[in-house]
Amino acid sequence: MNVSQLSSDLSITNLRLKFAGESSFIFKDLSFVVPQGQKILLLGPSGCGKSTLLQVLSGIIPTSIEVPMKADSIQKPDSWGFVFQDPDTQFCMPMVDEELAFVLENLSVPREQMKARMTSVLEMVGLHLDLDELHVPIQSFSQGMKQRLALATVLLLNPEVLFLDEPSALLDPDGTMQIWEAIKYVASEKTVIIVEHKIEHIISYVDRVVLFNDKGEIIADDTPDFVFSNNKDELQQFGIWYPDVWQDYTQSNTYQTIMHEKHLYNQSPSIPAVSRKRPPLLWLHQFAGYREKQRKIYVREAAVHTGEWIAITGENGAGKSTFLLSLMQLLRTEGTYVIEGQPIVQAQSRRKKHTPPSQLAFVFQNPEMQFVTDSVYDEIAFALQLEKRPQVEIDRIVKGLLSSFHLHVSEDRHPYQLSMGQKRRLSVASAIVQNQPILLLDEPTFGLDAKSTFAMLERLEQLRVSGVSILMITHDPHIVEYFCDHVWEIREGELSSISKVKRPTAATTSLYDANKDVDMAESHIIHSEAATKRSK
Amino acid sequence: MELFTPQKETWFYHVNPAFKFFIIFAALLITLFNRHFAFALHLLLIYILLLVLWSGYSWRKLLLLLAPFVLIFISTASTMILFGKGEVIWWTWGIIKISEESFFRGLLLSMKTVSFGVMGLLFVLTTKPLLFFYALMQQFHLPAKYGYSFIAAIRLLPTVWEEFHTRTNALTIRGVRYKAGIQGIYERIRLYAVPLLAQSIRRAQRIAVAMEAKQFHISSSRTYYYATSYSRRDAVLLITLVVLLIFAYVSAQYIPLFEWEPPVHQAVILQ
Repeated sequence: MNVSQLSSDLSITNLRLKFAGESSFIFKDLSFVVPQGQKILLLGPSGCGKSTLLQVLSGIIPTSIEVPMKADSIQKPDSWGFVFQDPDTQFCMPMVDEELAFVLENLSVPREQMKARMTSVLEMVGLHLDLDELHVPIQSFSQGMKQRLALATVLLLNPEVLFLDEPSALLDPDGTMQIWEAIKYVASEKTVIIVEHKIEHIISYVDRVVLFNDKGEIIADDTPDFVFSNNKDELQQFGIWYPDVWQDYTQSNTYQTIMHEKHLYNQSPSIPAVSRKRPPLLWLHQFAGYREKQRKIYVREAAVHTGEWIAITGENGAGKSTFLLSLMQLLRTEGTYVIEGQPIVQAQSRRKKHTPPSQLAFVFQNPEMQFVTDSVYDEIAFALQLEKRPQVEIDRIVKGLLSSFHLHVSEDRHPYQLSMGQKRRLSVASAIVQNQPILLLDEPTFGLDAKSTFAMLERLEQLRVSGVSILMITHDPHIVEYFCDHVWEIREGELSSISKVKRPTAATTSLYDANKDVDMAESHIIHSEAATKRSK
Repeated sequence: MELFTPQKETWFYHVNPAFKFFIIFAALLITLFNRHFAFALHLLLIYILLLVLWSGYSWRKLLLLLAPFVLIFISTASTMILFGKGEVIWWTWGIIKISEESFFRGLLLSMKTVSFGVMGLLFVLTTKPLLFFYALMQQFHLPAKYGYSFIAAIRLLPTVWEEFHTRTNALTIRGVRYKAGIQGIYERIRLYAVPLLAQSIRRAQRIAVAMEAKQFHISSSRTYYYATSYSRRDAVLLITLVVLLIFAYVSAQYIPLFEWEPPVHQAVILQ
């Protein structure tokens, strides 16, 4: 089949590609044509080779990354631009103007013309910088702005084709919206090939959706409407964030069961009534956390009760991570800080060694940073071994956690060799192994596919039911809406509001007694007297 | 950072950075191969003078930045002084043996070390790294692939530093305790090196691919955003430094501030 004729920008026939050391092909006899100007979305499970295909079509494979591959024919675009996933690994220069200049230098553009071109592409992606504002550090940009800068740099190449490899995967909702708006604006005439899991903003934008299975075979290739109505099973199975994924999930049996149990838990006469009257598990009053000498976070008053799931929200840089680090006593703090009725002796200086409160478990955003051993088993057993617990007991606890966290891999596997979802679950399992009553998490579902996200949330809900209180940083409003009990919003270094989550879904409330649903209260402002009295 | 802002930018800031580097390098080579005590002393004093005059930093900041060099001076000198070979013994105690030769050789060695430190500091304080590599590429024909690799690497340093802190926090939270002694040091290295290297290598790889995706090709010609060139200042620097070096040498010969020469019989043995 000779398909590379006509006015197609891009085509590939019978691609075969295999990574060194892997036994099976990523692609076997894949053929693929993209007509000029088409907007196309590639979907598929993690590791199915979507990103690899982008790299082959652009020529990054085999020019920059050497991978053995073979194809009967490849027609590559004359000019193309590539936006990658990670905002922090796309730039080689420290300043915005220098990075843009790097591309212009590559194209041998005369120096005098550079500035004008820079401002024009920045304008196109919605970054309005005057000529004298161009010399700013890229590091001062938010992640979303960095991605738009990355888009601006590739626009300098005047690309016929844009390759987008999950450009919004690591962005918050605002950043996600802005990058897609920018892409839609600049790419109207261009061919656009997108790999992305978060697709709510682009569903109406793309002309065509290509769905891959985990063997790298195309199983559907049609309009978005057709694919999303006919291939829902595969979409769910592959963990893709298709438009109705939350709706379908919240109507699933799994979620309904969870909510039913949550409902029973809140209704049950013994637990909540007692815990409401009991002093809070964790109580903060005029609590402040410092970096160097600057106050970076301030909490006038806040309380955590047993079995509460609290979402910590706020913009990038508002102080969410700083707040968690302050609770962990990894920063210098001041004010009243009480856990289980015991005041916490606070770290007076950063230099002085301070042990984090033993009641807290902490999960970092990047799981690799917290792994300390060479196997999945040891990773969970680590804290227990430090406590010198008997081997039989350690074995029992570790095996239990491995199965409840769905870590069905060899116990000797190196933690780095797990999938992203597995790494995250392992990091939670290893953090809570000592049965701490409070779990702090820094965006535990960040960058995960839908399937891994739900798996993570279900594990956390299990922990909550067993009596663990959860404080979790998240940007995802759906997670807040469907799983959390309270929202603490942090704004400009201050805990600005505490509100209860209303759970509005008809599906949930219709099954149970809607009137008595506990989480239907209005939001409180922390400064109100009511809030103060309640926590005392 | 407050500490690294100069009071004023002297003309030395505007010397071609790569040329500046090679001039300083040449001057330090002379220091390195010199065995003459008075010459080394005069060179060091001149270098300190240049640092004060040309760096544009206040006395207080320079003293602060030079403080570590006192430590280096003492540590370098003391090893040589205490354990060096020599004939004219001043004092012995166990394996410690201070002789006239070892004492002055120790001082000579540490003067050389501090000379390197002072001139290195002068270069670092007055040069933007980015411009240094731009000048290397433009005036000294450094292949662009090396120039930009270094620039990209410098950009990564703060991230690595940040990750080091995150790792420290993570290890504290996990309750990692180190064994005493060498085993503890090995453990520390392992616990930090694996994740930091893994992240850095991954990041470097991605940046490399991103650079090539932006049409960075090794062979093709290119223009430069920052134009660096030679100017009259470069000539001034060259002449000034040559004159000062000659002055240091001649004055060391005829009006040394302090002179020491190895005892004659040993010089004979050496030959």
